[in-house]
Amino acid sequence: MVSPSPPVPLVRISGLSKRYGRGTVILEDINLEVTPGEFVSLIGPSGCGKSTLLKLIASLSPVSSGTLLVDGMAPEHARQETAFIFQEATLLPWRTVNQNIQLPLEVLPMTQAKREAVCNRMRKLVGLDHVPDHYPRQLSGGMKMRVSIARALTVAPKILLLDEPFGALDEMTRDRMNEELLAVRSELKFTAFFVTHSVAEAAFLSTRIVILSANPGRVYRDVPVPFPYPRTVETRESPEFQRFTTEISRSLRAVIPVGA
Amino acid sequence: MMKNIRWYLPIIFGLIILAAWVGLKEAFGIRNFILPGPDKIIRAAITERETLIHGALVTMTGASLGFVAAAVGGFLMSLVMGLSVSFRAGLYPYILILQMMPVVIFAPVIVIWLGPGLPAIVLITFLICFFPIVANTTQGLISVDRNMVDLFRMINANRLQEMRKLRIPFAMPYFLTGLRIAGSIAMIGGTTADLFAGDSAGGIGYIVLVYNGTLQVPELWAAGFTACLCGFIFVTVVLALNWLILRKWHDSIVKSDL
Repeated sequence: MVSPSPPVPLVRISGLSKRYGRGTVILEDINLEVTPGEFVSLIGPSGCGKSTLLKLIASLSPVSSGTLLVDGMAPEHARQETAFIFQEATLLPWRTVNQNIQLPLEVLPMTQAKREAVCNRMRKLVGLDHVPDHYPRQLSGGMKMRVSIARALTVAPKILLLDEPFGALDEMTRDRMNEELLAVRSELKFTAFFVTHSVAEAAFLSTRIVILSANPGRVYRDVPVPFPYPRTVETRESPEFQRFTTEISRSLRAVIPVGA
Repeated sequence: MMKNIRWYLPIIFGLIILAAWVGLKEAFGIRNFILPGPDKIIRAAITERETLIHGALVTMTGASLGFVAAAVGGFLMSLVMGLSVSFRAGLYPYILILQMMPVVIFAPVIVIWLGPGLPAIVLITFLICFFPIVANTTQGLISVDRNMVDLFRMINANRLQEMRKLRIPFAMPYFLTGLRIAGSIAMIGGTTADLFAGDSAGGIGYIVLVYNGTLQVPELWAAGFTACLCGFIFVTVVLALNWLILRKWHDSIVKSDL
């Protein structure tokens, strides 16, 4: 594909550092440019600040120094552009599936009918057509996470920030969720930042894997993922995929401190 | 739903207690003004029924009004304390002092202020019920899951929306726990208030004073059981409210379907 000019970065990070108060430095001199449509996995040892980086982009926490621009704006002005998916589904237990999905729309000027239309579309997209009125306690872990994803997608975010969303799921469910996330992405075309501990998950989902080293967190390697979309079970089982994940795992071992 | 609870056990134990009561009384020849027999108390309750029912209604009225005032006032006070750390830090010590101040000391002061009668009884019950409601509800409002707060920030909800859609529903079980505790002591408050602030309206506490003065011991016991029954009614109403509000979603009511 030939483009006339280089794509404009959707997220631009340069010389970014982060420390909490006067505490230890979490992230140091991070430089990263992400263009629309990219799926970036952040991977690295605990304490490398990968979750913190998501929180900075989401403007849930302020940058200490350096530049962070989201869609050309300071993150606090770009909240409309982003949606966050937490490690836990973070559903409100007193609300049904539909009511949970509609939550972000309730603070927008939007009619009830429009809200319901968006909610129904997203619920179908994540495969929860059959449980609109269930309460979270009636759902399995995977279903709860689907609700969480549907809720995040209602606001049509340009950037989806996912903080280890499938970490608590069993492997089978996780693989399925990965495939479905890619399917949803091919329809809604968001840019994604995905924090994970799983090399296979990162390789399967991403266009690009950023490996961070810890204490303080720095970008250690920035690797493009060579496999074309759509990715399927065959992708995962191919020898190329195995070789790729082995190589990423090797890099990861290099940044995990001895004794950790 | 209540399949596992053996309803007949309390009845069996009740009969055992009654038998022990009557047996001890006969065996040791305990006289009626020390410990009247159950039959005497029931007879007293029947002959004095009009006075007792009237007294129960009077005290229940005072206790209910005080309880409802405490529920509303306590809830609003919690909102204030939940909204601002400064209010919380500044006000909490005084609410604690209010709680630590024994009612038997407060009550005469209130009677001096308001005179005997319903307003004084309502205020005394209010003071007893206020603290558990405030303490529990405030705890609920500030215990909200950190990620949920972040979620509300991400969707650009303002503080009012966060309060209405997140903190208040989250605090509901805590508020109801406060109500349960308050409900179980509201009658104690009302009866105590009667002792100090009861007037010719004749609340149950006031009746107790009269029976005590005239040494009508079985009647005294009957009045005691009447107050006890009123307390049960109170707790039942609060439990029903609890069930109504939480039945759809809270783990304390519903067992997981999975």
